[in-house]
Amino acid sequence: MIEFKNVVKSFGQKTVLNKVSFKIERGQIVFILGISGTGKSVMLKNIVGLLTPDAGEIWVDGVDAAKLSEESYGPIRKKCGMVFQQPALFDSMTVFENIAFGLRKHFQLPESEIKSRVLKALSLVNLDDIGERFPSNISYGMQKRVSLARTIIIEPEILLFDEPTTGLDPITTNAINSLIQDLSRRLKTTSLVVSHDMNCALAIADRIIVLDRGMIVEDGTVESVRNSKVPLVKDFLAEV
Amino acid sequence: MVFMRIKVLIDDIGGGILFLGQIILTAIRTPAKIDLTLEQIYKVTAQSFATTAMAGFFVGAIMTIQFTMQLNEFSALEYLGGISTSATLREVGPLLIAFMLSGKVGAFTAAELGTMRVTEQIDAIRCLGANPIREIIVPRFFGIVTASFVLLSGGLVLSIIGGLLMGGLFAEVSFQEYVRHIPTLVTMPSIFNGLFKSFVFAFLIATICTYRGYTATGGAKGVGKAVLQTAVACMIAIVLSDWVTTVFTDTALTLIRGE
Repeated sequence: MIEFKNVVKSFGQKTVLNKVSFKIERGQIVFILGISGTGKSVMLKNIVGLLTPDAGEIWVDGVDAAKLSEESYGPIRKKCGMVFQQPALFDSMTVFENIAFGLRKHFQLPESEIKSRVLKALSLVNLDDIGERFPSNISYGMQKRVSLARTIIIEPEILLFDEPTTGLDPITTNAINSLIQDLSRRLKTTSLVVSHDMNCALAIADRIIVLDRGMIVEDGTVESVRNSKVPLVKDFLAEV
Repeated sequence: MVFMRIKVLIDDIGGGILFLGQIILTAIRTPAKIDLTLEQIYKVTAQSFATTAMAGFFVGAIMTIQFTMQLNEFSALEYLGGISTSATLREVGPLLIAFMLSGKVGAFTAAELGTMRVTEQIDAIRCLGANPIREIIVPRFFGIVTASFVLLSGGLVLSIIGGLLMGGLFAEVSFQEYVRHIPTLVTMPSIFNGLFKSFVFAFLIATICTYRGYTATGGAKGVGKAVLQTAVACMIAIVLSDWVTTVFTDTALTLIRGE
C-alpha cells in the first residue's frame, strides 16, 4: 500500500507537488497522467527516496518513507522496483551483469541461481540470447526491456514505471504495456505508471490519477475518467 | 551579483569538501573494491601515459633550452643539468604535467560520471540497493589518485631525459658534464618536493573531477558544463596548491635545516 498525505515538493520558487494526497491499494495498476513538468516523475522519486518531500508524509506498507535517512531506505528500495524514463543501464556492464546487479546487492545467492534467474527475467521480457552483449550494442527498445528485467528480477512488491514507453515505436510500446499488465497480474504487484499515454491507461489501468500543476485534478476508475468534465482530462481523451 | 557569485563559490568549495569527506568515510567503512580500483588505475594509466610522457619529455627539453640561453651569458653551462633538472623537478614539471593530466583524466571522468548522472544510472544504482559513492566513486577516486601520481612521477623522470637529450643536442653539453652537477643541485628535498606536489595535484584532480561529474545536472548541456568546470577548477586548484605547497615545503626545509 502506498499513501501520499499532503505531500509538497518545490524546486526553488517552483512548487512541483502541492499538497498531493492519494492512497493506492495492493495489486492495483494505477496510471498517473499529466503534461510534462507537472510533477509525475517527482512523485515516483519521492517514494524511493531519490528526492525528499518538503512537507507531508509518504507511507509505503506502514513506513513513513519521507522520514527515512538514505541509509534506512534499503527495505523500501527492495520492495519498490523502479523502471526509469531512460533505460539507465550501466554502460560498462553486459546485459547479464546489469540484470544481476540488483540481485547481487539485495540477496546472497549462489552464482547458478543468479544465472537461472537472469535468464528467466530475460525470457519474461522476450529477450533471449543477449546476455553477453553490452547496452550500447542493442536497440533502445531492447534497452528499455532489459531495464524492466533488471527491476522485476528482485521481485518487488511495488513496480514504479517512469514513462516506460516514451521514445518507443508503437509495436514495442504495445509489447511493454502488455508486459506491465502481465507482470502486475502474474506477480500480483502494485504498479504505479507515470505516462502521457491515455490510450494505454484506458486499456490496462485499474485507476487513473491526472495531475495538473502539482495538484490532482482527476482520480478515478477508467469509466469515471472517460466521463470526466475536467478540461485537461478531456484534452487527453480527445487524443485517444 | 558579486556577493551571489562569492556565495556560489563558497557553497561549491564546501560541497566539494563534504563530498571528499563522504568518499573517505565510505572507503573507511567499506574498503574500496580492489578489482574495480585496479581497473581504474589501468584505465587511467593506459589512457594518459602517452600524453604525460610527451608532456614530461618536452617540459624538460624546453627548460634546458631556456637555461642554456641564460647560462651561456654567464659562461656557466656546466651547471645546465643541475639547474634545469632542479627547476623541472621542483616546479615546472609537476605543474605542467598536472595541467595536461587534468585536461585528460579530469575531463574524461567528469564527462563519464556526468553522463551516468543525467541518464539516471546513478539513481538506478541507489534504487537497486547499492551506494553509488562506494560502487563508482571510491574506485575511481583512488584509481585516479594512484595512477595520476604514478604518471606525474613518470613524467618527471621523462622530463630529466628530455632535458638531458636537449642538453646534448642544443647546448652541446656532454652527458657527463650535464649530470655532473645534478647531485649538487637536485637534493633529496627537491625530489621530495616534486613528488609531494605530484601527490597533491593528483588528489585535487581526483576530487574535483569526481565531484563535478557526480553532481552534474541538466542533460547533455549539464555534462558539458561539468567538464568545463572541472577543467577550470583543476587549473585554479593546481596553481593555488602549487603556491601553498611551495611555501610549505620551503618553510619546512628551513626549519629542518635550522636556518
